Amino acid sequence: MTFFKWSRTFAISRKEFFHIFRDPFTLGMAFVLPLLVVVIFGYAMEFNQNNVEVSFLDLDRSQSSRSLLEKMSSSNYFRLKQVRSPEEGMKSVKSDNSKAFIYVPPNFDKNIRSDVSEKIQVLIDGTDSAAAGVIQRYLIQITNNMSIEVHSNSRVSSTPFVSRYLFNPELNSKWFSIPGIMVVIMAILCTLLTSLTIAREWEKGSMELLLSTPVKPLEIILGKLFPYATLNIISVVTVYILARLWFDLPFRGSHIVFLFACFIFLAGYLALGLAISVILRQQLTAMQAAMIIGLLPTNLLSGFIFPVENMPQGFQWLASIFPVRWFMIVTRDQFLKGSSLVQLSFPIIAMGVASVILVSIAVVKFKGDLD
Amino acid sequence: MDSIIHLETSSISKAFGKTRALDNVSLKLKPGILHGLIGPSGAGKTTLMRCLMGLMSPQEGEVKYFTDNERRPFSKLRDYIAYMPQTQSLYADLSIKEHLEFFKEMYQIPSDEYEKRKKNLLEVTRLAQFEDRLAGQLSGGMYKKLGLMCSLLRNPKVLLLDEPTNGVDPISRREFWELLYDLKKSKVTILVATAYMDEAERCSFVHVLESGQLKNSGEPLHLLEKYQVSNFDEIFLKGSNNVI
Repeated sequence: MTFFKWSRTFAISRKEFFHIFRDPFTLGMAFVLPLLVVVIFGYAMEFNQNNVEVSFLDLDRSQSSRSLLEKMSSSNYFRLKQVRSPEEGMKSVKSDNSKAFIYVPPNFDKNIRSDVSEKIQVLIDGTDSAAAGVIQRYLIQITNNMSIEVHSNSRVSSTPFVSRYLFNPELNSKWFSIPGIMVVIMAILCTLLTSLTIAREWEKGSMELLLSTPVKPLEIILGKLFPYATLNIISVVTVYILARLWFDLPFRGSHIVFLFACFIFLAGYLALGLAISVILRQQLTAMQAAMIIGLLPTNLLSGFIFPVENMPQGFQWLASIFPVRWFMIVTRDQFLKGSSLVQLSFPIIAMGVASVILVSIAVVKFKGDLD
Repeated sequence: MDSIIHLETSSISKAFGKTRALDNVSLKLKPGILHGLIGPSGAGKTTLMRCLMGLMSPQEGEVKYFTDNERRPFSKLRDYIAYMPQTQSLYADLSIKEHLEFFKEMYQIPSDEYEKRKKNLLEVTRLAQFEDRLAGQLSGGMYKKLGLMCSLLRNPKVLLLDEPTNGVDPISRREFWELLYDLKKSKVTILVATAYMDEAERCSFVHVLESGQLKNSGEPLHLLEKYQVSNFDEIFLKGSNNVI
């Protein structure tokens, strides 16, 4: 009876490397999938609004109203279209040609110079709430600037505050989404690839021979973790290079801290795939389970699209179970903010705990017999 | 370890749902000889093999392991028992050499010892020139020989082979059996499960398994006399009533 042996673990890893490099499917998944997903998501997941058609009706025709409209059209965000009546303006929003209708009342110029409250009316198409929010923000920004200018020339001084966005001054949505995509890709690749490996050995019958040798479950699990971790690190580097060079993302954190966090996250998600594989023993069901378990929480509960902070308390607790929620924080932080290891200790420890639990599940659930 | 290992099962039973794969099987594997486990498909041969290898545990009865007539726990003897499963269990995308190197590590064989055994095994199986060929590209006979090599690499005292010549051409089958005869000389206890009845006559001792029950054990000629048949096919052809 022998105990845990590194040499056996490495032999398993070596064999797994042979499988990976001789299987075009696995290699393709590891190299092509990340590139494809980043490019598709990078371009398709666009929260920024450019060149949005907005109709307007200017009944004031004063210097102020003209300069407001000029500011809007010169901002690049909006393409202005003049309408002749409020009805026509409403119709253009209804028919989906315009995203908003701006109505400038006859006394606009007079009113903004006094303290009369109703100055300008904006009707925004609310069917797409995300787009509506963005349009509103732009409009407010433009009108705010306008009122600063107007009031600086007059006696009245208002302007409650001027805001500036930190870390992502232009609120570029790619800066926000691409680090998120990186996390999603890692989570999917990890669970998917490892979910197949042990199931494959069961299906092909090689597990029977393997189990008749003195190899230990921990050696098999660890031996299978190394090659897939390497593969995933390669895909992380690919996405990183693409993000920096193609999408011009900054990286303000420490590469060492980020890599360290990557390894902790990888261990957990690779083990998750292995646990699925160990329990289900069939490639097809394992793959489906990996898709559901790996993909759904990654997209819905990680904060990738929907902020975890806005979820009901119960869902926040649920989201916290998944290491991907913590890794999302770390990754976005390292790209845009650059906090230190100490500042990130909570998410990293939370991830570490989850990873240890997942590896343990994979090892414990691994049955050394055919029953 | 130079001592002789032998195995026994005492009335083991194993059921999968309603199917009784093994029904009260008591069998003794005398050390150092070539045993045959014959029976038609579905007789329970594979289940018995898996129980002997500790890959399955019987629901009733137990498998006992002895060295020099002294009972030992399986974990102590596991390293001396080798098994070759019936299913294609090698890695199609790994070469012969890579298989041997992989199992060398699994069994923790020292390098100098490994080189010696590898050379010897490649020689007797005549696979030396195909060392770099992937298992998936080997012929049926060569594939089985590679499987045998992987189990022999650990220099076992007990060798359990589950239908090793299934689907192999007659020439390769004969070669395979010659390999087994060579092993017999080195006092290895071998159990070969087979559905080819003619192979039963090549064994020193035969166990007849049918529908999960051990119908008989004995030397081949002795058994033929007992059933009053000229070959082993007839035992099963005559119907299970006669197999008592």
